[in-house]
Amino acid sequence: MKSQLTIESQNSPELLERLLRVVRHRGFNVQTLQAETTDNEQNLHLSLTVYSEREISLLTKQLEKIFGVTKVSLLAQQAEIKASA
Amino acid sequence: MNGANFVVQALKQHNISQVFGYPGGAIMPLYDALYDGGVDHLLCRHEQGAVMAAIGYARSTGNVGVCIATSGPGATNLITGLADAMMDSVPVVAITGQVASHLIGTDAFQEIDVLGLSLACTKHSFMVQNAEQLGPIIEQAFELAASGRPGPVLIDIPKDIQLGDAVNFASICKAPITEKVDQEAINKALAMISDAQKPLLYVGGGVGMAKAITPLRQFINTTKIPSVCTLKGIGAIEHDSDYFLGMVGMHGSKASNFAIQECDLLIAIGARFDDRVTGKLDEFAPHAKVIHLDIDAAEVDKLRTVELSMTEDLKHILPLLEVEISIEDWQQKALTMKVDFANRYDHPGEAIFAPALLRQLAQMQPRDTVICTDVGQHQMWVAQHMFVDRPENHISSSGLGTMGFGIPAAVGAKVARPDDMVIAVSGDGSFMMNVQELGTIKRKKLPVKILLIDNQRLGMVRQWQKLFFDGRYSETILTDNPDFVTLASAFDIPGETISTKSQIQDALTRLLESEGAYLLHVSISEEENVWPLVPPGAANDKMMESLQ
Repeated sequence: MKSQLTIESQNSPELLERLLRVVRHRGFNVQTLQAETTDNEQNLHLSLTVYSEREISLLTKQLEKIFGVTKVSLLAQQAEIKASA
Repeated sequence: MNGANFVVQALKQHNISQVFGYPGGAIMPLYDALYDGGVDHLLCRHEQGAVMAAIGYARSTGNVGVCIATSGPGATNLITGLADAMMDSVPVVAITGQVASHLIGTDAFQEIDVLGLSLACTKHSFMVQNAEQLGPIIEQAFELAASGRPGPVLIDIPKDIQLGDAVNFASICKAPITEKVDQEAINKALAMISDAQKPLLYVGGGVGMAKAITPLRQFINTTKIPSVCTLKGIGAIEHDSDYFLGMVGMHGSKASNFAIQECDLLIAIGARFDDRVTGKLDEFAPHAKVIHLDIDAAEVDKLRTVELSMTEDLKHILPLLEVEISIEDWQQKALTMKVDFANRYDHPGEAIFAPALLRQLAQMQPRDTVICTDVGQHQMWVAQHMFVDRPENHISSSGLGTMGFGIPAAVGAKVARPDDMVIAVSGDGSFMMNVQELGTIKRKKLPVKILLIDNQRLGMVRQWQKLFFDGRYSETILTDNPDFVTLASAFDIPGETISTKSQIQDALTRLLESEGAYLLHVSISEEENVWPLVPPGAANDKMMESLQ
């Protein structure tokens, strides 16, 4: 199952690494990734597509726990991604 | 005031009067500040000992434990302890020195990317980048370590920030969050409890961490629902509570495992469906609807899909779930299983039977004794055969299963609770893994009692080799162990060796009545195994009880 996510967070030097470590460790592969800082480097906005056999909520709940993460949104899952392609 | 002095003052503001650590180059400014800073520091003899002592301190009190190490190898030596604290949700703040800011990323002497290393084994980690950040980071670290689901937090402080001027920081007084309990969920839970014919409580370490022991016991008192516990849940329920069936899982009691497999409603309280608890997950509690109470939303539906979950503070939820129910047949079944499957201590021959030894120790030890264990067969025998009535009195590396944990954890517990008896129960494999902490015991003259159960084997691995690897005892035979009593005597710790049942009573008396530290070294047969055992991949009711 492919899932398209956005993550809003307060930026810190290691935040991207921290997020991606959780994605990998919890059993998800990154297929696309875009990261940009906003508000004078204060915040980090991440858009990513991940693939896994596992339920996406297993990942989103872990991401939401990370200190500094303010919002995790699941935009679409496989069927919708295909339909829009 | 420089940054290092600021850190010591901040520790005091967080009511930290005791820290554990080991000095080194990049943390020297902080050690200079500790020299006369008014916070007691206990020098452990390895950074792993320091972090495990901080864990023992935290687990025996419920307060945050603090450890300190230098950069590079000092920091890497903390990693196993941080991982242990992570798995067992223990509030620990670890402070590491780092090379000066301008040297970071240059492969400087004793430089390692501890922030990167810590990502997988801390709840959060910080590197202080400038003096302004120091105050807010320390405050956030203590808040994070202790709040929600507790865990370890690391603060890495470059040497130049320790030496530079500190920046005053006005502490933010947060308004306490008033938590709204979901009344609809409460009503649904009450209906599920009332409808159940065979409800069962599955109690984990979260109850103790939430300081919800009293509400849990009150809930049990009202509902009279039978209960089981996890390794970390030991002590949450009084051991002699009527319908308490003991520990569940791989080395759980038969009564607990059968009850899990038969119940029609499982109420998981501060527990996380660990594989050592569930056995074959698909066949765990196959007839049960599940209510899951846990402060960590990420644990809900992680392994077992549940009918109802609540993530509010257990102290607020449990009183709202008290309801009188009529489940006499199920209660009777629980009582019958308790009697039918009670532990037996009859054992042929003169050789010491470790379960009976530990039972006797539990009967002889003073009330409020803290038992710290290492990892292996002795750890499971402690869980099965000793009885504990406070989670703070049973300190056992549960999630990570860290050999070498017992002695430093006992050091931390003894420092935290000097008036209570502290006993480290260890095995000959584990004991050698942090044996240098005998030096810490000697240095502080800590009256830690050590019960070393020695089968000259890595017993748990040997047991699995016997059962599942055709008796091929690969690297588990330790007949070349040192003379443990002589070893202890080198640290001014008196001791003795016993090997027969007739010696037990007097030897335990000497252990408990010795003025200072004491080593009771107990030789047992390598043939003794831990029973029952749910083999890997089997359902919990498929327990092995002997080699036959």
